[in-house]
Amino acid sequence: MSTSTAVTAIFPTFEQVCQGFAGQIGMLREMAPKPTLADDVRVERAIDTLIAETNAGEAVWLESCIHCGQCTTACHFFQATGEAKYAPMRKMELYRRIYQREIGPFRWWFKLITSPVKLKDLEALQELVYDSCSECGRCTMVCPMGIDTASLVHHLRSALVAAELVPPELAALTAEQKHRGTIFGASSDALLKIVDTIRDHYGVAIPLDKPSAEVMVLSSAVDLVANGNGLLATARIMNHLGVDWTICSDGFESANFGLLSGDMALWRQQSASITAAAQRIGAKTLVIAECGHAYPALRWNPMVAGGALPFEMVYMSEYLGRQAKAGRLNLTPIEGKITYHDPCKTGRRGGAFEQPRAVLQAMNADYVELPSGREYNWCCGGGAGIFLLERATRLRDESFKIKINQVNATGATTVVVSCASCRLNFEAGRIKNHWDKQVASLVELVADHLIDPPAPAATASQPGVPA
Amino acid sequence: MTLLEFARGPAIHWALIILVAGTIWRLLGVLALTRGADLSRPRDAFGNYKGYRTVFSRAWPSGEFNVATRYQTVVAYVFHFATLIVVVGITAHIEFIQSLTGTSWPALPNAAGVAVGIVALVSLFALIMRRVTKPSIYCSNRGDYITWVLVAAPLITGLMAFAHLGPRYETMLAIHILSVALLFIWFPFSKLMHSIWFVFSRAQSGLTYAHKGVQI
Amino acid sequence: MAHTSTLGELLRSQGVSRRDFLKFCTTTATVMALPASLIPVMADALEQARRQSVIWLSFQECTGCTEALTRSHAPTIEGLMFDFISLDYHHTLQAASGRAAEAAREEAMREHAGKYLLLVDGSIPTVKAYSTIAGISNLDMLKDSAANAAALIAVGTCAAYGGLPMAAPNPTSAVPVSDIIKDKPIINIPGCPPLPQAITGVIAHYLTLGTLPALDAMGRPLAFFGETIHDRCYRRPFYDRGLFAETFDDEGARKGWCLFKLGCKGPVAYNACAHVKWNQGVSFPIQSGHGCIGCSESGFWDSAGIYESIADGQFGTTPKIASAAVVGAVAGAGAAVLARGKKEKKAAAHAANE
Repeated sequence: MSTSTAVTAIFPTFEQVCQGFAGQIGMLREMAPKPTLADDVRVERAIDTLIAETNAGEAVWLESCIHCGQCTTACHFFQATGEAKYAPMRKMELYRRIYQREIGPFRWWFKLITSPVKLKDLEALQELVYDSCSECGRCTMVCPMGIDTASLVHHLRSALVAAELVPPELAALTAEQKHRGTIFGASSDALLKIVDTIRDHYGVAIPLDKPSAEVMVLSSAVDLVANGNGLLATARIMNHLGVDWTICSDGFESANFGLLSGDMALWRQQSASITAAAQRIGAKTLVIAECGHAYPALRWNPMVAGGALPFEMVYMSEYLGRQAKAGRLNLTPIEGKITYHDPCKTGRRGGAFEQPRAVLQAMNADYVELPSGREYNWCCGGGAGIFLLERATRLRDESFKIKINQVNATGATTVVVSCASCRLNFEAGRIKNHWDKQVASLVELVADHLIDPPAPAATASQPGVPA
Repeated sequence: MTLLEFARGPAIHWALIILVAGTIWRLLGVLALTRGADLSRPRDAFGNYKGYRTVFSRAWPSGEFNVATRYQTVVAYVFHFATLIVVVGITAHIEFIQSLTGTSWPALPNAAGVAVGIVALVSLFALIMRRVTKPSIYCSNRGDYITWVLVAAPLITGLMAFAHLGPRYETMLAIHILSVALLFIWFPFSKLMHSIWFVFSRAQSGLTYAHKGVQI
Repeated sequence: MAHTSTLGELLRSQGVSRRDFLKFCTTTATVMALPASLIPVMADALEQARRQSVIWLSFQECTGCTEALTRSHAPTIEGLMFDFISLDYHHTLQAASGRAAEAAREEAMREHAGKYLLLVDGSIPTVKAYSTIAGISNLDMLKDSAANAAALIAVGTCAAYGGLPMAAPNPTSAVPVSDIIKDKPIINIPGCPPLPQAITGVIAHYLTLGTLPALDAMGRPLAFFGETIHDRCYRRPFYDRGLFAETFDDEGARKGWCLFKLGCKGPVAYNACAHVKWNQGVSFPIQSGHGCIGCSESGFWDSAGIYESIADGQFGTTPKIASAAVVGAVAGAGAAVLARGKKEKKAAAHAANE
């Protein structure tokens, strides 16, 4: 539990967060923008967008599918339902038709013998690339041709953005982030408000808007408008480490609805504001909050020459792992048998496996690996925005059962996650299935186990210990 | 011109021309497209070697996946190897290849060639049975079935010709050669191109993941 | 040769015993795949056979067929039988020449109208001037002679399928008998030359039963042309085991291994050489170490080189395939370049829409 002296917890439990979110998500559907363009324009734009993003790599993958069916073994949505339409290779079929007709080597022939794409084809595609694909990449692990279905799905989402066919909840949040720079109303005002609350109630200082700092930390709307404990935990850890850190009110949001919806322009816009803030303050390290897709949005952003930036971008679990390995995290031991769920975006599609495990090791955890863990981990079913989609509820619920079995097989009492989407999905699944496991977030776990010297709360700036 | 003369002459000749022209057309037409760049900083300097490794390591599915995956992989390998042995091991085939390229190698005894040919055919039937009985897994289209027929036909007609089953020998031989001609013509326009694509598709994903520090 | 009234009388006069005669009938019936019950019938019929009028027309031929038939062995029953038939016209064997020969032919055609057998060897040039006999073109003579024949036998590959004269470029526009005569039964006995037993077997069948033997789709008697050389070849076990002679003087050749790689056409050649053999069963080409050239098959002169295996590609233009590679490369690269341009346009359109 918290090592500070008995202070009443004012922030909701995560179960309450989860339930609150469900209500908020429900309202999103009403706020979704309606299509404004004519049908044929929507189709044309979708095709233009898709082709503009199709290079030799995508073309080779589209050419390579041999319909062997092995991808169905790996996909949680197919395994949970057995329905043919959820087979990963189905997602490529429309893409392949468009590619073959537009820029394929035999396109003159295909233009003759295949029918042109219609809006209803794109409408049918929606379910395949939004509702039933979390871009988790597990199918790529089994495909004998090594096809990267997830990246093809990403391009398809981009096309559907152009066709005004983004599912309503995602469309609403994308519009909000695009036009107002916020999601769920989490503005810099909300940030300021919660920073004040944390300082006043918990005595934990969060250095906001320092003109320069070594470490720039991101937050996210989930923490700002719902899960205050997340931000609190982050601040505790950063202060414990004694690093020169800050949060910038003009670049604090990890979530990137450009990436989630497929809107490439918004992806660029949103990540540009973050990196601009980091450059402005001369940061050396940018720490991304526990928001899975933020990792590919920033660290693995293919549009920005990351090596040319003056700072490195790391995920929260990576940062904590580094600190743990360097012995800078003083942690009490953790009870019970622990297992770790690698988020798809930071594990299999991000490469940050060792660091979170180093953190758990620093807590002397009685650790057991999930069967089919690490790069073979089953997706929780809620990523890539699926958690927000009401109509994907059945798919999420059914595929989560695979997760339950996987965790149960370890005999662990607690499963640690390090991604807000995963955590929300796990929590919802835990409640619905009356699951007897505890679900913990890595950052909150670390904060709860910090051994802090009994001193007054850290002041605004501290002599920097390099991160 | 008899059917056999047609088969051995213009039919197989033009089939080879279409095979070569079509395959190179398709390969270049795809590989010469733009290459997207991933500008993000790679995780480690463990180099592209680890990424290209996927071309070979993907030859066997991870034990993480179920037994059915390994079953299909085994049957597919049996089919591929048996067919390859039949194609390069039977005297008449080696003669044909020698007449085109000048190289030759010792042949298998006919009995061995026939035995391996039967193994190839049986495994091919096992594969189509699986495809037909599990439609939701396979999402088969017309191309899948046409490919199966055009691959099975040379095996079946070759065995029939050898065993003197069916029409007169020279007619059966002509049919066998025509079925091979059809297969050659179909090759560049079908999923059979996976025999070349697999190198590129695996390498691409291997590199993409190795960039992030994940070995697949 | 003194005229005798029946074949039986002729044979007895030449000292052929009844036992030898019956042996001949048995052998012939067996070779013709006729049932054993026909042997006494054949014996009786042959015994009583009256002289069968035979007219032999030789067109664009080399006389090899006649040579094979007449020189291949010491006097035998086949030879005697051949003497027995009334060979009313034959360029090589007849005594008469010039106008007398033609007159003999015409008289035989008149006297035995509807009953004579017309044997033809050599192909027929459809450009009439290329081959004439006594000023009559082959084409006209054939049509004329066939009009009242009981049946035609095309002896040798030239008469049956066109043979050597018809080989590319076919300078005389030669055609086989069956291309000219459509309204009479024709038996083809191909081979270059054909097995003598095939010719005499067919004639014996006709003399005995008055009908022509069972034929395959190409008009050949099944008894002699129903199987391939390959299926009866004594070297077949070597083929099956994959032991081949690679050159004519290597170890394989000396050990009598299969000649498939040296161009043997046995698998696609239908004939009886492998079991009936030549020169009264002494040998046949493969036994002598040379591959079968498929001389009983239509178009064998053009279909493949004598020393080219039948498995070889029959076009030999690898340069054409190489140029196919170039065409494909140009088309593919062109397609990609055009696609890049299209992609750029679409990217620009997409950017404009954002």
